[in-house]
Amino acid sequence: MADNGFEVYLVEKEPTIGGYAASFCCKATETCSKCSVCLVPEKMLEVAANPQISLLVNSELVGISGEVCDFSVELVQKPTFVDPERCIACGICTESCPSEPSKGIYLPAPAAVPRTYIIDKNQCLRFKGAKCNICRDMCPTGAVDFEQKPKKRRLKVSAVIVATGFDAFDARQKGLLGYGRYPNVLTGLDLERRFNAEGSISLPSNGKAPQNVAFIQCVGSRDEYIGNGYCSQVCCKYAMRFARLLQYQNPEARVTIFYIDLQTAGKGFGEFYEKCKGAIRFVHGVPVEVSEISPDELEVRYEDPVEGKVAKETHDLVVLSVGITPRKDSWDLAKVLGINLGDYGFFDTQDPLDGTATNVEGIFLAGTCQGARDIPESIAHGVQAASRAIQTLTARGD
Amino acid sequence: MNTEGAFLPDIVAFCCAHSAYPAADSAGYLRIPYPENIRVIRVPCAGRVDVLHILKAFEKGADGILVLGCHEEACRHISGNIRAKSRVQKANTLLEESGIDGERVEMLTLAQNQGPKFAQIASEMNERIKGLGPSPVKPRV
Amino acid sequence: MDNSLRLGVFLCDCGNTMSKTIDFSAIKAKLERLDDIEYVAISHDLCLIKAQEAMQKDIRDRGINRVVVAACSPELHEHTFMNVLQRAGVNPHLLSMANIREQCFWTHPHKEKAAEKAMVQIVLAINRARLLEPVEKAEIPVNQDVLIVGGGIVGTEAAIELSHLNLKTTLIEKEAALGGKLNLFASLYPLQITPEEVLASKLKQVTESPNIDVLTSAELIDVRGQAGNFVARIKRGDEEFVRNFGAVILATGYDAQFASQLYGFETSTSIVTLSQLEEMLKSPAEIKKIPRNVGFITDVSDEHSRISTLSALRNALGVKEKFGSEVCILCKNLKVDGAGLEKLYHDCRNRGVIFLKFDKPPKISEEDGEIHIQVEDVLMPGEQMALSCDLLVVEEMVIPPSDSETLRSILDIGLDPQGFYQDNNIHLYPTFSNREGIFFAGNCHADLDLIRALTEASNVALSAYRLLAQGRVTIEAENVMIDPSKCRFCLTCIRACPHNAIREVQVDHEKRVAQIVDLACQGCGICTAVCPAKAIRFKDWSDDQILAELELVGAYL
Repeated sequence: MADNGFEVYLVEKEPTIGGYAASFCCKATETCSKCSVCLVPEKMLEVAANPQISLLVNSELVGISGEVCDFSVELVQKPTFVDPERCIACGICTESCPSEPSKGIYLPAPAAVPRTYIIDKNQCLRFKGAKCNICRDMCPTGAVDFEQKPKKRRLKVSAVIVATGFDAFDARQKGLLGYGRYPNVLTGLDLERRFNAEGSISLPSNGKAPQNVAFIQCVGSRDEYIGNGYCSQVCCKYAMRFARLLQYQNPEARVTIFYIDLQTAGKGFGEFYEKCKGAIRFVHGVPVEVSEISPDELEVRYEDPVEGKVAKETHDLVVLSVGITPRKDSWDLAKVLGINLGDYGFFDTQDPLDGTATNVEGIFLAGTCQGARDIPESIAHGVQAASRAIQTLTARGD
Repeated sequence: MNTEGAFLPDIVAFCCAHSAYPAADSAGYLRIPYPENIRVIRVPCAGRVDVLHILKAFEKGADGILVLGCHEEACRHISGNIRAKSRVQKANTLLEESGIDGERVEMLTLAQNQGPKFAQIASEMNERIKGLGPSPVKPRV
Repeated sequence: MDNSLRLGVFLCDCGNTMSKTIDFSAIKAKLERLDDIEYVAISHDLCLIKAQEAMQKDIRDRGINRVVVAACSPELHEHTFMNVLQRAGVNPHLLSMANIREQCFWTHPHKEKAAEKAMVQIVLAINRARLLEPVEKAEIPVNQDVLIVGGGIVGTEAAIELSHLNLKTTLIEKEAALGGKLNLFASLYPLQITPEEVLASKLKQVTESPNIDVLTSAELIDVRGQAGNFVARIKRGDEEFVRNFGAVILATGYDAQFASQLYGFETSTSIVTLSQLEEMLKSPAEIKKIPRNVGFITDVSDEHSRISTLSALRNALGVKEKFGSEVCILCKNLKVDGAGLEKLYHDCRNRGVIFLKFDKPPKISEEDGEIHIQVEDVLMPGEQMALSCDLLVVEEMVIPPSDSETLRSILDIGLDPQGFYQDNNIHLYPTFSNREGIFFAGNCHADLDLIRALTEASNVALSAYRLLAQGRVTIEAENVMIDPSKCRFCLTCIRACPHNAIREVQVDHEKRVAQIVDLACQGCGICTAVCPAKAIRFKDWSDDQILAELELVGAYL
């Protein structure tokens, strides 16, 4: 929208933009895996550099009135006790912070946009009652302000685009799969973050490289029983990309993917699948239970299609390919905006052919808050929402 | 140059603005140390790097050269990384003919969010060149 | 050295964090001794507005015409400092930066070495600054009309959206009517709306819009020119005419082909393709005999096609509703990664459709109008199941439309290994071709369901709008320039340019040279490196600048 002359307020609840995808890792082996994660930091910096876009982070929308071309929105900005106009991200505060084991003041992500430090009330010693002013005293620009209060803001806007994203399925809901109980059961999200931070994955139980990995697909997706009767679209692809990455880093590792239907559609993915088909063991059938034999060994129980009966096998790492679910705060936002929630709790669209229009003219949807999609398609959906927004405003001469 | 007697290689890394350069920045944010004797030169695309630049770098005293670009099939400019790769191979040949070990130049690929990988590449190249010793055409200072 | 150069060096110690290690005052003293260094300043927070205002004032007051900033990464703040230069009246390309924070101070714990390296980085940035050249902006007027080739649902939607964005389009369609594949579909499950309803609604919008000129039974014959100024020749019946456009959108869809050689048989009364079945479903009154048992088979000729699965599911439901037959679908993997597809699959199951998954392709034979299938169900391995049906519906491969090669050569864009249009970079710019101003949407370049295809229609409409809406495009003028006196017209750069941004130009009646098209140039520098005569100069990244950065390898100040 900014590129077409509009002024944009980008309102973000967290201290940094980028959402989940900003924490994901590169999955290239000797060729690019087309996971599209590297697009995200680039787009974040583009947004920061664009003079038409104002970033309002730590902010939530709490009220709206008016109508298209003349909305009045109310925002509340949480205090972070650091003045973004003064913070230069030098890092002295974090270095000097005495709080253990986690710091009370930090950068929310290494490549956070905006590049501003924040104080976490749950970890800051001063907010827990201690007399400590170290970060304020050390800050060379006087950016630390313990008196910062929540700020209310009122903005006049012509249109609103909701792009609040998703939550990953909470794998603890599938208790039998052992997430949260056994250290070597991880989710796809855990894998993204570990690879991003360390460049490789090691078993949580003993720090060694995994030799025998199992991916369990459709955890929390294609599951009408728990209310998620849809395909999350991203999990088969990310599982296969991870499988290939794991084997590239450790050619001896064996990888098994337990699946219902392999989602291999999408430009270029068919070729990718054909390339890694031989090296990955695909098992048609999803396990129902994961249990621990020893701290370094997990047992996976599934119905073996070849034998036709229940089988058990051991793996050292089990990855649950969790899917995309609506955010828990969607309900509140829907109420505030006066828009509807639809299938499975995602925001509802008025026109099934157009995934961007809501029941309120001038309020549009973009990305995974409307339904599961991968990164490039979320970007495309965002562009579609911008296109519709501009069309609506053009029609009204705005 | 060094004051301790041990050989510290001078390594030049041509870093593509879309991948390796931000990856080096990423190593910075994550405070991952890598050898100081790596010199980063920013280029708009690995395909901007010419065999001329590689040879000149040796002339000016480089002991090792890295050309770092986007992963195969991920080049913003489609063929830049492929061209860079073939130019590096050409440089390898020319160097071997001149009595310089071709292992002193290498092209590698990475993505902009691979800070740890950048640091790893830098450290590994440093070790390799340390093993090979100073470049035979390095000017005496 | 150029005597008119007046360099300003701005050092930032990032809140004094770096001055513990790096002696900025000593560096400042060393630099001030150099002839062309007009001014050296040390700041603690150049990223803050106040410091930038001071910097701006310093540049103006001291007549500085080349700026060096030693601070954090250019990835973070290059644009910030370019703006400062602009406001101070200096061309923003005359900025050189030394990354002494992310790429020095933050990764080199050995303090002495970090300080040495920072000094080297600053000196090299100064070397580079001396060789920088200004790059001016220019405005090119562009034609605001858009040509859309392909009048299916995607082309039509793009035209409608562009119309809402107040741009005029010419929509050409080779058939006699608009609608494309949607004219042939019997249903749009999982959507409850029918293809007829969708087409009626879209066609109404098209005919009512003063901005859309529809030319049916028309073909594109030739396109010359560049983005913003394309000249297209269109043929309609016996007539040929020329029109000007700013952008071209391809929405030519796909073709469906039955891989008879792979299956080993042809279609017959008992074996039909998905397309033929849809014809039957659209006019059930004409069916002589309603089939009792219908079998569908997919994933033999292409197991990665979403359209194939979707078509099978949609039509299986259609068969259930219109004929009430027993239906069985044989497949390898059900591609349900699209909105509503999982639900469609469940609807099929709830209506009694049986699904059978195989790994090895089934054996099919026909006898007296009955089709016999032998297949190994993956859930019962080792056992061959025998099925029979009186109508077998076979999948079709999704292939590029027949005019792909023709249009490809008219427009000089690329095709992928399967013959579909090649995206500029499939995850970065899926709807962009490698040529500025030429876009594609829909199934002519990828395997998409309707909702995804419509999202693409929106995307290309906005891309064209973004390019053309202002009536002019601001470009960097001659950042990359070919010296016509050195150019031998060997065509190497033209072939090497990945963005088709170099064209041939007639200098006089004997000489032709290559010339950069500024609007299409994306600044990769491949041409600069590849020119055997070194006739190309890239102002922002010239050879002498790169070589200047190679000084001091092996020697520190």
